[in-house]
Amino acid sequence: MMFKSLLAAILLVAASILPAAAQDFIAGIPRNQTLIIQGPPAQNAEWFNLWAPGGGASNNGLQQLTADTFWFINPDGTGDAAWTNALAADRPQYNADFTEMTVKLKDGIFWSDGVPFTADDVVYTVETQIAHPGMGWSAPFKVNVDRVEATDPHTVVFHLKAPNSRFHTLFTVRWNAAWIMPKHVFEKVADPLSFNNNPPVSLSAYVLHSYDKAGNWAIWKLRDDWQRTSIGMGLKEPPQVKYVVYRNAGNPDARVIEQLNHNLDVINDIAPEGMFTIARKAGDQMAAWFPGFPFAHPDPTLPSVLFNHQVKPFDNADVRWALALMIDIRSVAMGAYRGAANLAALSTPPTGIAVPDYYEPMQDWLKGFELNTGTRTIKPYDPTIAEQVAALVRPQWGDSIPSDPAKLKSMFGFGWWKQDVQAATELLQKAGFTKQGNQWMMPDGKPFAIRLMVEGDNVPTLARAGSIIAQQWSMQGIKTTIDVAGPTNGQRLGAGDFEAAIYWSVETWGGHPDLSFFLDSYDSAYIAEPGKTQPPRNLQRWKSEKLDAIIEANRKVAFDSPQVVDLGRDYLKLAVEEMPFIPLMAYNKFAPFDTTYWTGYPSAADPYSASGPFWSNLRYMVVALKPNPNAPKP
Amino acid sequence: MDGFAKYLARRFLQFILVIFLGVSLAFLITHLSPVDPVEQSVSLMTNFGATDPRSVELLRAALSELYGLQGSFFEQYLAFWGRVLHGDFGPSLSSFPTPVMSLIMGALPWTVGLLTLSVLIAWCLGNLLGALAGYFRSNILLKLSGAAVMALHPVPAYIIGLLLLLTFGFVWPVLPISGGAQMNLQPGFSLVFIGSVIQHGLLPALTLVLVGIGSWFISMRSLVSNIVTDDHVVYAELGGVSSATIFSQYVARNALLPQLTGLALSLGNVFGGAVITEFLFNYPGVGRLLIQGIYSGDYSLVLGVTTMSIVAVAVAVFIIDLVYPLIDPRVRLG
Repeated sequence: MMFKSLLAAILLVAASILPAAAQDFIAGIPRNQTLIIQGPPAQNAEWFNLWAPGGGASNNGLQQLTADTFWFINPDGTGDAAWTNALAADRPQYNADFTEMTVKLKDGIFWSDGVPFTADDVVYTVETQIAHPGMGWSAPFKVNVDRVEATDPHTVVFHLKAPNSRFHTLFTVRWNAAWIMPKHVFEKVADPLSFNNNPPVSLSAYVLHSYDKAGNWAIWKLRDDWQRTSIGMGLKEPPQVKYVVYRNAGNPDARVIEQLNHNLDVINDIAPEGMFTIARKAGDQMAAWFPGFPFAHPDPTLPSVLFNHQVKPFDNADVRWALALMIDIRSVAMGAYRGAANLAALSTPPTGIAVPDYYEPMQDWLKGFELNTGTRTIKPYDPTIAEQVAALVRPQWGDSIPSDPAKLKSMFGFGWWKQDVQAATELLQKAGFTKQGNQWMMPDGKPFAIRLMVEGDNVPTLARAGSIIAQQWSMQGIKTTIDVAGPTNGQRLGAGDFEAAIYWSVETWGGHPDLSFFLDSYDSAYIAEPGKTQPPRNLQRWKSEKLDAIIEANRKVAFDSPQVVDLGRDYLKLAVEEMPFIPLMAYNKFAPFDTTYWTGYPSAADPYSASGPFWSNLRYMVVALKPNPNAPKP
Repeated sequence: MDGFAKYLARRFLQFILVIFLGVSLAFLITHLSPVDPVEQSVSLMTNFGATDPRSVELLRAALSELYGLQGSFFEQYLAFWGRVLHGDFGPSLSSFPTPVMSLIMGALPWTVGLLTLSVLIAWCLGNLLGALAGYFRSNILLKLSGAAVMALHPVPAYIIGLLLLLTFGFVWPVLPISGGAQMNLQPGFSLVFIGSVIQHGLLPALTLVLVGIGSWFISMRSLVSNIVTDDHVVYAELGGVSSATIFSQYVARNALLPQLTGLALSLGNVFGGAVITEFLFNYPGVGRLLIQGIYSGDYSLVLGVTTMSIVAVAVAVFIIDLVYPLIDPRVRLG
């Protein structure tokens, strides 16, 4: 009797609750006007101050959809098309010695509350942040800006403390940049660091509609006056996406399910297995960077094997080269990415403009590159790696893998170092190492063992790559153990608390050949003493006079100078010769799109915008999407 | 001083000591964490951008000052107790300058609602089934349900949760698998909102019930199995007292006392959140907050959540200690 009552109660509850599943997915908002994007959980959901370190909605649409600044570079673009003048009417104008930068602003741009945007907002942004250490761009402004003035409502002149040909990059968005503050809002606030800026006024095409106090979602609405924004001015047709929802769609499995259920249009990143599941089950309702295998979008970052040059024997280039030649990169590509990796032999990511400016023109140099092993000279570069990886994945993916070498290179990379254990042996012997049985001994007689640090589950593909490399080194007589750093990964890399690690110390503009984005911080003047924290990004603490000379020369030429590419190639050649870290591949992100409601996503064939949800360049994708005429009717 | 007053004083001192030691230990552990909140903030603010090393140094110094992390370990410990006694855990370091208490109070209703209900349901069902299985040992249906509960008991929460998530989110997609309520719904005491909260809480609650029911079942069945052989039960059976009366008044009632202590502890633990389940279902509770705090090195936040949990468990135990002599005359005072 009791069980019957219990069963009846359960059925009653189910009957009353389950029909609720038929409700609109988002209350009161038409799904076919809404783009749903994966966002992170906002711990401090009521915080909308983008200029202070308070968390909140910064990565949940605030910087992507409401903030604006002078210029944008499309990380996937090439040539002039990659550059966009946003709030600025033109490119930056420097004086001859790069101590002054003049910016002409566009006329007719308004904040979402109707107040016009002027040069006073820019001056206020710089001066307020200099006056408040701890604000996001306070430190770089303080280091660089002597004074800033508005010579008229649409002209700003920056007077710099010292020559800086890259000062404009502070206001140039790849992922983000120094966003302009609304003077008329913040000037009424006593402390801009403790002001939550809720609700925020917008300088771009979307404005806050509503948000979850528990931090799971934020909804942004197209401004009625979207034409009065820098992005709106350039549009020929009104944006079709009326609402953008950033939602925390949970764990990676849940994200896959949510996209298959059409509740998540844009995923930031999932494991290869999740991507393959979506590709298999969603059919033509799915789009990705590549329409078929390998699907993934290569970020302009370069996962590598980093070595701490302040720890012996990793200060020795022969040892680093030996370790590189012990790696079978095909196994790493298969194990880490199930083959869907874009391999990189050069120390810059094989993405965007790096392909025509660096990878293609340097192939002959790479093929001819000779390495002295101490007993002979070898040519270690193997330009056929793409074909070899393609052959490995073809049994699973069949005809979707092309045979055209050019297409294969865009999918799998140009080439890598051929595994050559004999050459590695000779290099280690050249460095004074000896072998006892299968164990390599260091010159001081101790066994050569390596702790290889990986972040762990947070970046599963790189953790897998680390495991495979550790296994390969161990098999060659160097006992390698994996050291999972978890949330301390960044800190330990900075503090030099590692021997070798799988991470990246190279990030580029992607859409521009200038390598100062990361290279400027490689100046040996910034290398910290052992035990002290190293500023980003020379995590390996590579010190080289030749490198310093390249960096200094690059500082003296303009951002758009043709010499930038020549200097970039000099750096890349030096990095091959010294192998300061072993570049592995682009950071491939599996970011599938659901095309049930929207079409026209960026792709390798049409890379008109960044596609990563957290990249501020995403705004150009949002306004370009077209509704799918076959979408379910509300 | 009579017996009860002495008993009360002793328990109260014990209660204070537990809180003091527990919270001090939590302070020590969180401050020994290798994750530095300043470095985490610097990393967040400089990630993905062109970074000038001179600027990073300035930023690091500015944030250290802003977060108020100066002072020796002991000075920080004293300042911490000063704040805690006023119900303040200071500002969150990962959500600066929002007070930790605001973040906890935002997440607490979700966790308390979900966990209280789940714990109570698991406790009632587990004990009921356990008591019945222990008393009516030859009943086939009870044997089967016992076997099912026992089979579920060793399965980790994330496996059960994942199975439910796949079943009701993908294979038969009738329930939401993420979040606390429907998006863009105005929170309040409306039927629509409450219905949505229940709907979103079903899978996490079911996970917690399925995970929790086993231990109650096993301990209750074991207790009842022992009690049924006690003299007073045997005499009652010989005296012709009905099975239902023996079960409810002689057996289950006596077996329930230790289970009540367990219930109080479980309810106290509610304030620590259900980390795995909340993570799995993206539930906006204290458990998820705790994980975010750990990952960002926000020891103010971690300490706030931990302290709340320690105090809640200590209070629960203290209340049980006070009530126990009243409901069980065998507990002697003095």
